Amino acid sequence: MDLVVTYGLNFAYSTATLGLIVLGLAVVFGLLGVMNMAHGEFVMLGAYSALTVQQAGLPFLLAIPLALIVCGALGWLMEWSVIRHLYRRPFDTFLATWGIAILMRKGVEVTFGREYQSVDQSLPGTVSLLGIDYPAYRLVLMAVIVVMFAALFVWYQRSNTGARIKAMVQNPDLAAAVGINTARLSRATFVTGVAIAGLAGVLLAPLVRVEPYMGLDYLLSSFFILVVGGLGTIEGLITGSSIIGGADVIISAIFDKTAGYLGVLAISILFLWLRPDGIFSRR
Amino acid sequence: MSAAPLLSIENLTGGYGEIVIVTDMSLAVAAGEALCVTGRNGVGKSTLVRLVTGALKPASGKVIFEGEDLTFAPAHGRARQGMGYAPQEGVVFDTLSVAENLTLHHSDRSLERYRELFAMFPRLPDRLGQRAGTLSGGEKKILSFCRALAEDTRLVILDEPTEGVQPENIALMAEAINSAKAVGRGFLIVEQNLSLVEAVADHAALMDHGECIYTHSGTVNLRAELSRRLKI
Repeated sequence: MDLVVTYGLNFAYSTATLGLIVLGLAVVFGLLGVMNMAHGEFVMLGAYSALTVQQAGLPFLLAIPLALIVCGALGWLMEWSVIRHLYRRPFDTFLATWGIAILMRKGVEVTFGREYQSVDQSLPGTVSLLGIDYPAYRLVLMAVIVVMFAALFVWYQRSNTGARIKAMVQNPDLAAAVGINTARLSRATFVTGVAIAGLAGVLLAPLVRVEPYMGLDYLLSSFFILVVGGLGTIEGLITGSSIIGGADVIISAIFDKTAGYLGVLAISILFLWLRPDGIFSRR
Repeated sequence: MSAAPLLSIENLTGGYGEIVIVTDMSLAVAAGEALCVTGRNGVGKSTLVRLVTGALKPASGKVIFEGEDLTFAPAHGRARQGMGYAPQEGVVFDTLSVAENLTLHHSDRSLERYRELFAMFPRLPDRLGQRAGTLSGGEKKILSFCRALAEDTRLVILDEPTEGVQPENIALMAEAINSAKAVGRGFLIVEQNLSLVEAVADHAALMDHGECIYTHSGTVNLRAELSRRLKI
């Protein structure tokens, strides 16, 4: 029984954290169609924000505004200088953001060094739950992610801005004709997406190794999830995270981590082959 | 033209990239009047509208609205300055509900401004919660027409508003346009349905090969003159 609870919680944790990681890319790629290859680097910048706050001896929570400011400002600059010229040209955004990702990795490498670093857990210890002891920080993180997703879902479905984003994504010419400033809304959406990636980096920093190349893994996982779940819906994002996260946890537990990666890759290839729009799709 | 021009199109030339569709068009719309632009399919009527609304950038010429040069103003800026627009294609946001289509550009999200139009087109308020993409082609046109008309704009630009709309609803559209004209709103209407043109036009322009080949003021002999030139 304990084993089932442990695996169940690990599955929930894996799904939640993957959902958090992919959320920013779902906004940028799923809504704006920008294949942001620097997505993982924004997660990495969030993690380094947590590291910077720790090295300065400041409270962990201060890393959240720091990451939002750093990623938001960099995202704004990136959208203004490069992305806005490339909307509706996915392959060009792919190339341009890949170049930006290399620049960001090298910039962090020069500033912080290449070595692995770690962020201390602000909530150490375990909590007894359903008969097992489970890390407190993981439980809090899962709760935070669930609340974040619920808030975002309600906001996107009910707010005027949510309706305007959907309108802009579906018919940008008509959106502009009714007075929606699509250029400003696209920029705000892009900045929000990369800021969410930064926030994910902060929240995950105490659980992972922090190094300049950490974003590459997150980028791959994010694309796998979007391939499986489909673009443009929160349901797709959660389903994709569950399938990718679940497959990784189960296959890794039965065999090893490499088999887990292979399993995830095989699932993604199958989806690309048999159901290229994913399970849920806006189309 | 009896009143000062609300919209002046001066020697407007443009199209898609290097391909010029509209050549040297000059037209004017006065407050409280409707200018109907007609012509066969593919003569550049919708391109003209897209140049005026800012969806396309002109190669030369000017678009003056209420004395201000808006030739290169962004499309959303023109809408905010008082230029309402219902396009010919992609007329609604398919994935949004009918209510969202009518209110997303208003911060108060109130449907009160549609009260009179809802009375005219009662199927619309019955379908507020329905996804706009599931409406018929004619219903989408009516939704788009109502959205453009209910906005508090001095000028309304309608591109083929009657396409797929039932004749009795076309008559109601004409009634709504004439009511709006009576309170001083101007209309630029691209239309091939001569019944609507005859019912609302104060002036008409006929296009061929991207140029204006004939203009007509008043309603006397309007239909006969346009029909003759259109070879109907």
